[in-house]
Amino acid sequence: MIRRYAALIRNAWLVDLQYRASIVLWLLWGVTEPAIALGIWWAIAGDGSVAGYARADFARYFFAVMLINQLTIAWDSWYLDRWIRDGELNFRLARPLHPAHEAVAENLAYKARTASVILVVWLVVAVAWPAVRLPFAPGRWAITAVAAVLAAAMRFFISFTTGLLAFWTTRATAVMELHAGVSLFLAGRIAPLALLPPAVAGIAGVLWFRSMLAFPVDLLTGAVHGTDGVLRGLAGQIVWLAVWVGAYRLAWLRGLRRYGAVGG
Amino acid sequence: MSSIVTAERLSKTFQVKVRDPGLRGALRALFRPHYRDVLAVRDVTFGIDPGEIVAFLGPNGAGKTTTLKMLAGLLYPTSGRVEVAGFIPWTGGPAFKRRIALVLGNRQQLVWDLPPEETFLLNRAIYDVGDRDYRERLAELVALLELGDVLQKPVRQLSLGERMKCELVASLLHRPPLLFLDEPTLGLDVTAQDAIRRFLIEYRERHGATVLLTSHYMQDVTALASRVLMINRGRLLYDGALEALVARIARTKRIELVLGGGDGNRVTAEALAAFGEVKSFHFPNAVLEVRREDAPATSARLLAALPVADLSIEDPPIEEVIRLAFARSGEEDE
Repeated sequence: MIRRYAALIRNAWLVDLQYRASIVLWLLWGVTEPAIALGIWWAIAGDGSVAGYARADFARYFFAVMLINQLTIAWDSWYLDRWIRDGELNFRLARPLHPAHEAVAENLAYKARTASVILVVWLVVAVAWPAVRLPFAPGRWAITAVAAVLAAAMRFFISFTTGLLAFWTTRATAVMELHAGVSLFLAGRIAPLALLPPAVAGIAGVLWFRSMLAFPVDLLTGAVHGTDGVLRGLAGQIVWLAVWVGAYRLAWLRGLRRYGAVGG
Repeated sequence: MSSIVTAERLSKTFQVKVRDPGLRGALRALFRPHYRDVLAVRDVTFGIDPGEIVAFLGPNGAGKTTTLKMLAGLLYPTSGRVEVAGFIPWTGGPAFKRRIALVLGNRQQLVWDLPPEETFLLNRAIYDVGDRDYRERLAELVALLELGDVLQKPVRQLSLGERMKCELVASLLHRPPLLFLDEPTLGLDVTAQDAIRRFLIEYRERHGATVLLTSHYMQDVTALASRVLMINRGRLLYDGALEALVARIARTKRIELVLGGGDGNRVTAEALAAFGEVKSFHFPNAVLEVRREDAPATSARLLAALPVADLSIEDPPIEEVIRLAFARSGEEDE
């Protein structure tokens, strides 16, 4: 399996090299959203603080959002939608390799590429701008890495499962757009969850949204307090990951039975 | 010999959403969707022996591709039983998929932006082909398909014919004993079509592969297939050799004449009409159509009565026979 993944990742990178400009554009897109959010909160915070967040806290938060978002984002619903509707799934189903492996390999290739660039950018900025420096805490970074892997796995299954809706509807990507819109607020992309009205933040915590981004971000910036907070966050991630894996299994098996194998 | 492919009473029904035209129809379909069952394949039964080349014949929407996709494990049948290479296709998993190749004329697996060799390397990894096997098989396929100079060009710069040849290479590197080819010559020029046909014949001779193909081009069928499965409206109409089909469907034969005789005693159309239906007459060439069983006797009478320089007895063109067969099946359905 390692050989297969190596071949898939190699191909993904070779394709990327054909589209260098688009890599830069996607990277800029990934940076722009948190940069704008930071700009707004920077202005609002002024010399004081908002719900305990001063300017430096916002800076660290949104740099962490940039990194964790790139590490966990998944585009698979768009691919799946095309594979199913255009019949590109056909040859993938005829190969002795589950199509999800190709999607996972694409994710690894993409994340390694963009997240490493963002990490370098963060390090360079941190040299000049002390506000975005994180205290040296290898233990916390290790837990963050675990939480980021869980979040990436969950977002992958959310995206893949939503893409599988294309077996039933031609508007699967619209569902994903809706999810992305909701997660702008509930996952902490536009503001730390602590700044949301308590009822809204509560919903984000009960559903999977906190687990997919805000929790690992808070871990990295040190906003999760106590072992209890860490364990509860990780448990929430594991439960929601299991739920989405279950949803994926159901959609995959049911969808294949429905599949029309478009084309020809 | 035991069959490598067995299909028993195979059926597939699709549910298709139907809606009336216009805005009102669209709104109604939104709130009260209405579905109609389409019987794509109905009660199809056949067996295929190892090493056979079998062609599915049928007009668009006849059910041939649906049948092929069920055999390849892409589609679940609504009812019936299928066994392919000892597996039930949709539960066979990787072991089954290593034993088949699926080539779709209108969908490609080659990575569009990279040279074809990158897809070959990917498939080497996916199918666990050893390095030595990979090199030997690639060399053989490249030589047979005369692909030497295209392996390093990006796929998007290849001609349609070159792409199809590369699709075949990508699909055969794991040396499957069973090939499913859906319209493998679709859109190709005559030279490329011919190259693909010659390759398939050579490949089967070398490796004893079983080939199932669908095609709209009769040349594919006549050049490749020892047996045809004729499908229309989801039903299997005929299963057997192409020649036997012609004998069964075509009730007539064509007698092609080259007439002799000088300008003074030219044979007239009226004189020819006494022997059979005159399909064409441009002196000295004439084509007569007669009942199948009358062909030998009529030929003898023609030779005795008229100044004939040359005479041959032919079946009607295969396309015409097929058209006739489908037209008759349509009448029977109604």
